[in-house]
Amino acid sequence: MPRRILIIDDEDDIREVAALSLETVAGWDVMMAPSGAAGIVKAQEHRPDAILLDVMMPMMDGPTTFRELRALPETANIPVILLTAKVQAADQKRFSDLGVSAVMFKPFDPLTLAGDIARALGWTEQ
Amino acid sequence: MSGPASDPAAAIAARLAQLWRTSRPIILERLAVLKTAQAALVANAGDVAARSEAREAAHKLSGVLGIFGLPQGSEMAHNLEELLKSADPLSASDLISMAGEIESLEAMIAARGDG
Repeated sequence: MPRRILIIDDEDDIREVAALSLETVAGWDVMMAPSGAAGIVKAQEHRPDAILLDVMMPMMDGPTTFRELRALPETANIPVILLTAKVQAADQKRFSDLGVSAVMFKPFDPLTLAGDIARALGWTEQ
Repeated sequence: MSGPASDPAAAIAARLAQLWRTSRPIILERLAVLKTAQAALVANAGDVAARSEAREAAHKLSGVLGIFGLPQGSEMAHNLEELLKSADPLSASDLISMAGEIESLEAMIAARGDG
């Protein structure tokens, strides 16, 4: 069974490129949501193997979305990787301290994104 | 999805070229936000709304340009974001430097073309 990944990002181009990358390179099944609220609903419905979550989004940002996901029994244990444009070390630590599985940076290399996610989550089949 | 593509690099390059055509207008809009904000900050260096809009636009550009083969553009946008994030008021030299960075970004995006 291919891995199932949910990408939550308000930017169409980032969602598209990340999905393209994960599908093309790793053959994973990808679901997408354009906002934190929509992503939470999708995560509850589909229970993906991992969530790639953008930090800076309008209405509900990545950290808030992450806390909501952790508060729901259906999504509390799904690994979450925060995806953000390059940030300073203090911000990176603040994100890591939330309890996410990893913090990854944009711009990412579409050819290595799947491998980076697999390594961050300890998935050995990649 | 039925599994990985046989030539992922070629498949991704082809799709990225298509995506660039749809993303380019959005990227240019973000650049326009930066230019408008820079002009507003020249008129009033304490314009908090202009600074915040510019910071957000720079952050988004920083995240996306490198994906489309413009890593130097991502780096420049990141530098702009850091400049705008600082608590210090922007000096005249900061604003001149900001205008120069925006101009360079514009040239870089134009040179990338449509495809």
